[in-house]
Amino acid sequence: MIRPSWLSRTLLLALVVGAACKGGDEGKPAASNTFRIGVVTSLTGSQAAFGQAHKNGYSVALAEINAKGGVHGKQIELVYYDDQSKPDQAVQGVAKLVDQDHVPLILGGFSSENTRAMIPAVTAKKVPLIMPTATADNVMETGSTWVYRICGGSSSYAGATVGFLKETGAKTIAIVYENTNFGQANAKAMKELAAGAGMSVIDEEAYQANSPDYKALLQRVKSNNPDVVYFASYLIDATTLMRQSAQVGLNPKYVTSAGTGFAAPEFPTEKQAGKYAEYTYSVSQWMATSKYPGSKEFDAAFTKLSGAHPAYHGMEAYATLVVAADAINRAKTEDSAAISEAIRATKLTTPFGPIEFDAKGQNPHQILITQVQGGQYKVVWPGDQAEAKPVPTPAWDDRH
Amino acid sequence: MVVQIWSALQAVLNGLLTGALYAIVGMGMALIFGVMRIVNFAHGAFMMLGMYATYVLFEKLHVNPYFGFLAAAAILFVLGYATYEGLLRRIADRSDFMQILLTLGISLIITDGVQLIFGADYHQISIPLLDINVKLGPHISLNAPWLLSFAITVVLATGMFLFVMKSRLGRALRAIAQNRYAASLMGIDVMRVQALSFGLGLAAVGAAGGLLLPVFYLYPTAGDQFTLKAFVIVVLGGMGSVGGAAIAGLVLGVIENLTSLYWGNEWALVVDFIVFLLVLSLRPSGLFGSQRV
Amino acid sequence: MTRQRTLIAVAAFALCMLVPLFVHQDYQLNVLFRLFLFAALSLAWNLVGGYAGQLSLGQAAFFGCGAYGLVLFNEKLGVPIPIAFALGVVIAVGAAFLIGRVAFRLRGPYFALSTIAFAEVLRISAKNLTSITGGDVGVQAPALFGSDPSRWFYWSAVLLTAAAFAITVWIARSRFGYWLQAIREDEDTALACGIDAAGTKLRALMISAALSAIGGGLYASLFYFIVPDQVLGLDISNQIAIAGMLGGAGTLTGPIVGAVLLESANELFKNLFHEAHLLIYGVLIVLVVLFLPEGIVGTLGRLWRRRTQRA
Repeated sequence: MIRPSWLSRTLLLALVVGAACKGGDEGKPAASNTFRIGVVTSLTGSQAAFGQAHKNGYSVALAEINAKGGVHGKQIELVYYDDQSKPDQAVQGVAKLVDQDHVPLILGGFSSENTRAMIPAVTAKKVPLIMPTATADNVMETGSTWVYRICGGSSSYAGATVGFLKETGAKTIAIVYENTNFGQANAKAMKELAAGAGMSVIDEEAYQANSPDYKALLQRVKSNNPDVVYFASYLIDATTLMRQSAQVGLNPKYVTSAGTGFAAPEFPTEKQAGKYAEYTYSVSQWMATSKYPGSKEFDAAFTKLSGAHPAYHGMEAYATLVVAADAINRAKTEDSAAISEAIRATKLTTPFGPIEFDAKGQNPHQILITQVQGGQYKVVWPGDQAEAKPVPTPAWDDRH
Repeated sequence: MVVQIWSALQAVLNGLLTGALYAIVGMGMALIFGVMRIVNFAHGAFMMLGMYATYVLFEKLHVNPYFGFLAAAAILFVLGYATYEGLLRRIADRSDFMQILLTLGISLIITDGVQLIFGADYHQISIPLLDINVKLGPHISLNAPWLLSFAITVVLATGMFLFVMKSRLGRALRAIAQNRYAASLMGIDVMRVQALSFGLGLAAVGAAGGLLLPVFYLYPTAGDQFTLKAFVIVVLGGMGSVGGAAIAGLVLGVIENLTSLYWGNEWALVVDFIVFLLVLSLRPSGLFGSQRV
Repeated sequence: MTRQRTLIAVAAFALCMLVPLFVHQDYQLNVLFRLFLFAALSLAWNLVGGYAGQLSLGQAAFFGCGAYGLVLFNEKLGVPIPIAFALGVVIAVGAAFLIGRVAFRLRGPYFALSTIAFAEVLRISAKNLTSITGGDVGVQAPALFGSDPSRWFYWSAVLLTAAAFAITVWIARSRFGYWLQAIREDEDTALACGIDAAGTKLRALMISAALSAIGGGLYASLFYFIVPDQVLGLDISNQIAIAGMLGGAGTLTGPIVGAVLLESANELFKNLFHEAHLLIYGVLIVLVVLFLPEGIVGTLGRLWRRRTQRA
């Protein structure tokens, strides 16, 4: 007697395999009047807020480019794949976009680990990848000839910070970073570059993100008495760390950071760190007040679309699509190899800044150093972009 | 050297402050696990609900969280009772597997449900108390909200302990914990008492959530870390011992802070689990418990 | 196993192996790979969770050992790929031995909690020991198959599932399996009958660990790149256990059914429900626990038995 469990199992398997095949056939050949570009980003999961910022930035660029006629006379169609903030899903995304949607080019992902996971996949499938936001250095060290990055990486964050600090004569630095890819990558970069600027790293503290209490950690930092503290944190921890620095009485001469939390628009507001954010320094990829043409217009368009001002993630997404469209227009044919060659030869001015790729595919983007003054971010370095002078950091007890 | 002693003392004091909240969370779990042998994987999710309830009251009705936590406790009590009657009761006599699975499912529903309603964004509240630091001499500084929640949790913990030890309901709970069948033979309405104690356990956790809100931040998965910590506390304190859980919570807070001070913050959670495994291997009855494991 | 059932099993296996003749796209093959991988992992879980009745919620520990073993021995120490792969399995089995010695002395929920604790200790340690594991920055896995990898990974997953299934069948029908089930039903009585409960459970866990580790190595290589949260995370352990219980713990085919359903639901809901898919997942679990406590296969089997008995 055939037991139903066996029958059900066989039937189920057949069903699933059939469904997978059928589901797969949804890859329609590209419609003749749109040009498809693939996008992998984190629309759900822990990074969803940033993925959404990407989407908004892409949308602003898409509207502008399509209004001007698109590429090769066709309108651009963005095909999104949500990687759910997971690296293996990002890899799946590459497979789906290339095999089913037949895109010749992919933009993305959001986080460094998702992006890093995608690189072998795009290299194997010979499709160019333009990265808007992944800052970890390992994404540009794979040797792949199919990847391009428009933003500065963690070594350029550390480089800019060190460049700023060299002018101040600071000697000792403590690094406080969250125990994730973002934090570890930035800590590593700063460690390597600090020595070159004559600074010694006297303390390194990794922390478990989203903890309620960092006071013990900050006590340790305080006991080492560093001139500079370099934080690599997201917004929530940035707020907690600054509040608890005040409670513990940690008073370095310079509080610097690898952007992100310390560069978020909400960070100096009352809802977050408020007055505890004052005098902190941060790296920034872009500010709305930046001197590049089109910055203010982008800020206005993004705010109109999403209801909030853009952080640099939105700007990076915008610039990425602009670069993509420009390359496609210059490419001799519409296949991946030709487009990749065209990307390599890019020479553009965008609201994000000038974009050109070196031999490895990196755009040598100028990183800015900002300081929170009066609750606002002001660019203080480098000199030609600065809008204010840096203000010395008073001790917590001396503040009102 | 002197500085090091002060550092350690500061860490111990901060650990006690944090540990007080852990104690309440652990006591809630001790009620649930000790009395009902329900492995409540949704403990942290319910705590998060307590945080959201307190948050909403603060944002919409401007209720200070140090009063709002009581409302959170009440809401969680009702929710706990309802959850027990509606869901857990049906599998009361089934295996541990099923309970774990059920509470896991409930946890997912709560967490994702909250995310759908409130979004995945982080929320934080800002009250003036946060900026006040009490200084004990030049080396020790304690943050006011933590001190206040410590005071409140001492009252709560004492109340819970006395309740379990002295009240009729508390005696019924302990009777059920010792021997369920005998308790029912004594005329105790086991099902009803279990539902009440589940409600109480969750009320405790909801109160802890409300007290945590001002010093922490709010997001759908905020409670998850507390579920596992609650288990560690219950095991450390001894099964079924509500008083033991209180002490264990304090101990855990201190251990975590000292670990952060001497080894680094990233090892604190690992130390939690190692403590857990050590206790289970070496002294399974915990510090104060008497039940066999 | 009766001849009829053996034939069905072999036919099903052959059918699955032939799939790459019809399905060519990497994306689809990867989806099917995940399906069979989780089927294999759930079958491995079933040995301990189903037959021995010990709820393990830390299978990710073994999965991750296999993944990291392959990657670290090959990338960092230059060990050739097949040996690195084998070493990963050996380490997982070693971890099982350690975990088992400590945890199997505990009953019921304490065992489950200690498996979670072990897996978490491994995960956080992997995150913290960045100089060894690369931490969250990640490490790249070696390519197991050069050309046309998606096919080969798919076939590997099918083979692994078949192996896990065969092992389950063998155990279920052997004296070893009898001991396991006796322990599940009543450990004290089993001890009284002279069964070496601790040793038996330990052996089951070690077999389970070996299978899971193989799965881990395959997974790491297919997705190129691993980080601790991905291969040692609690959600993997949960998914494996849920698939096993959904399908029917302690049954032969239950874990396969459960894994197939869960992965298909995941794929479907990803596109249909986006953010709500965890909610649906949770509702699914609650419904199964309340109404189908023996899992799908278990319940179907029970209904079938009742029908045949009535006749």
